Amino acid sequence: MARFVLNRALKAVLTVWIAITATFFLLRLLPGDPTTLMVEGDMTPEMRAALLKTYGLDRPLLEQYVSYLRELLHGNFGISFRQIQPVSDILLDRLPWTLLLAGVAFLLTIAVGIPIGVYAAAHRGRWPDRLLQGFGIAGHALFVPSVAMLLLVWLGARLGWFPIGGAIDPDTRGLAAYLSLAHHLVLPVASLVLVQLGPYALTLRTNLIDVLGEDYIRAARARGLSGRRRLWKHGLRNAILPALTLMGLQLGTLVGGAVLTETVFAYPGVGRLIYEAVGQRDYPVLQGAFIMLAITVVVANALTDLLYAVLNPRIRL
Amino acid sequence: MSRTFSGRTRRWRVAVALGAAAALGLSGCGLNEGNSSSGEGSGGDAVLRVGTTTDVSNFNPLQSLSKTDSWILNAMYPHLLRIDENAKKAPELAKEYTYTDGGKTAVFTLRDDFTWTDGKPVVAEDVKFSAESIMKYKLGNVAAKLTWVTSIEAPDATTVKFHLSQPYAPFAEGVGFWMSIVPKHIFEGAGDLSKFANDSNWVGAGPFVLESATKGQRYVMKRNDRYPLAPGGKPAVGKVEFRLYPDVNTMMLALRNGDIDLMGTPVPASAAKTFANDSKIKLAKVGALGFAHLTYNMNNKDLARQEVRQALSMAVDTKSIISSVLQGDAREMSGPISPIFADYDNTEIQPYPFDPAGAKAKLAAAGYKDGDGDGLFDGLDLGVACDQSNANITRVVQLFRESAAKAGIKLTNECVERNTFLSRTKDGEYDIDASQWGVFDNPMDQLRSTYLSSNPGGINYNLLKSPEIDRLIDDAAGTTDPAAFATKIKNIDKVVHEQAYLTPLYVENFQFAYNASKFTGFVASPSDLLGMVTAYSLAQVKPVG
Repeated sequence: MARFVLNRALKAVLTVWIAITATFFLLRLLPGDPTTLMVEGDMTPEMRAALLKTYGLDRPLLEQYVSYLRELLHGNFGISFRQIQPVSDILLDRLPWTLLLAGVAFLLTIAVGIPIGVYAAAHRGRWPDRLLQGFGIAGHALFVPSVAMLLLVWLGARLGWFPIGGAIDPDTRGLAAYLSLAHHLVLPVASLVLVQLGPYALTLRTNLIDVLGEDYIRAARARGLSGRRRLWKHGLRNAILPALTLMGLQLGTLVGGAVLTETVFAYPGVGRLIYEAVGQRDYPVLQGAFIMLAITVVVANALTDLLYAVLNPRIRL
Repeated sequence: MSRTFSGRTRRWRVAVALGAAAALGLSGCGLNEGNSSSGEGSGGDAVLRVGTTTDVSNFNPLQSLSKTDSWILNAMYPHLLRIDENAKKAPELAKEYTYTDGGKTAVFTLRDDFTWTDGKPVVAEDVKFSAESIMKYKLGNVAAKLTWVTSIEAPDATTVKFHLSQPYAPFAEGVGFWMSIVPKHIFEGAGDLSKFANDSNWVGAGPFVLESATKGQRYVMKRNDRYPLAPGGKPAVGKVEFRLYPDVNTMMLALRNGDIDLMGTPVPASAAKTFANDSKIKLAKVGALGFAHLTYNMNNKDLARQEVRQALSMAVDTKSIISSVLQGDAREMSGPISPIFADYDNTEIQPYPFDPAGAKAKLAAAGYKDGDGDGLFDGLDLGVACDQSNANITRVVQLFRESAAKAGIKLTNECVERNTFLSRTKDGEYDIDASQWGVFDNPMDQLRSTYLSSNPGGINYNLLKSPEIDRLIDDAAGTTDPAAFATKIKNIDKVVHEQAYLTPLYVENFQFAYNASKFTGFVASPSDLLGMVTAYSLAQVKPVG
């Protein structure tokens, strides 16, 4: 167990380092720099040079990289070019919102996806199954911002059931604030869940159908176990393992989807911060955000591995 | 068995409860923001809610370069001059300005009734300090406008003298409009102003001053009860709240839903009709201070020829572009000066006619041949670069390609992501640049920035090095007599038009949407930089009823 955890931790550190390095160099390979967007102001070459010096971008790339890594090891993510504030402060302001949005969507996808997948597998070839197959394929084809805008126009503007954007009514306090928070969360979460749910439930359904054809399930039936028991206890336990891996991998997609969802719903998370920082070429903010997201995905995958081992008795750590 | 099952159920319940508690707890930081506002009050308590697209990136008005920052910061920090509805400079903090010493000294006379919100008067020393700080730390885009300043004097509380190394006709207009005035007694204690975030305890002298800022959500400004440019000496609304909507479609829905009262950002021309059936929503239309154009890279051997540039100008169907791309919501141009600057627009200039056959004949006369008979001149193959995030310009490029082909000119669409486009433009890596100038507050600054060979603003996209144009611009720049100055500008207008250094396309009309059933009195100024959210406009707004 200890060896597995150590091995996994080392791989996680390596993955994060690769993410840091790739982010650092890829951002600088993009055309333009933080002064490019200021082109329409009266920017003399001297002013541009002064700004680049202020940002530390006048130094050789390798020197910038080493310096950045050194600062990171001290927990310093740098100072935002545009906001003149520590990146860690900016990110910590936004992170809770993204974790809330992506976390609730993640849990809801699992909580709703499992029963749907099981039900479809148990009713293979009948209309609930066919409906899920259509929904699952549609999920692959749906584009998060389109779904988000559709929900916003229909349920927000037309029917007036949900607020248009934002995360909370800032004038509410106490219980009303929590209710407002939940009210604002419904549509962004629904957008993410609608896109994720179909493929997830479909994967589970396919796995479960395979499992239900296995010898040990037939043996269970021969032993007189009820259909419900065979399905939920013996079938699902084995079918859920690949689906679990899929969800671990999809967490990255979920966070990526949050970037677009947060923009449409004016949700104040890291996703929207990235959207704004890309336009401004605010390297420190982008680097900090991507590192944080990389860590989130790496940790989630590591936890998935651990959970996989717990659920699968054939794996011994 | 049953014990195991119930144990698992309990664990699930605990996990769900913990998850929910953690989720809500995580967001707790946003639940107890430190101010409250009524939102729907009336009269003095009314809150005007304005939609904006991005967070304030920099609260230091001397340094910020963001349009959306300026909406909030300009409401807080006064300027010497403002731009009125007709694109003319009007008094704000300064009552008037004059030039002395043959144009080498600009003298501003300030009002004596502006007050900082901490009770101290706004005085000439504040103006001097603001300008000297910008020069010292090379802050923002105003530093370039202070290039000619050798020294600044504040002989009394209401007089500021800028001594210049040489006369520059629009100096007072440019500095007066662009430079924010900050409180010396607050800012001088901050040390290096290039590193001063100014993100709390705001003291301003505009109609409103920031009270709280919740990143990613909203910015609340409270009224300055002593603002002399508001009717009755104080704004009619108690608070202005800026709410964030990065997506303009969401912002439009929020306006329709009553979540906001004014869109700070213009309504896209293609979407303006969606408000037609909404009796509460009104649209205010203003012109732009910039314009869309095709600019030709003079380092290209074909584009260096006047006949080719003129032929290209004849191959653009601007009328069709205005009607199809902008639904008619734009003005046609003839010369390189926007007609919004009526005093400087040379009305004797006629736009190049849309005449593909004439363009073809002109190119044939210039020696271009169609040897393979494909209808296109051999070797005349040009790229048109643009920012693909600008939907209008991208469509213009498509239409231009089609019409240019009729004139025998092969064009390639090279529209790319915005930063890539700007980077290529700065490096001169393009043949034809299709883009839109943002904001020019006066024609002289425009001509200097876009045609002077020294390229002071970095936007001489022609990469023009013309001693004649340099001489004409320098001569006009030093002319302080208004009538002679206008004549010289019109002459440059004519030369640029004849040379066809650029093909002006249109001056876009911007439309700003607001809830007329709740608020009235907005004063719209040209451009999407100003629109309805200038300090002056916000000070005039009053609730309906």
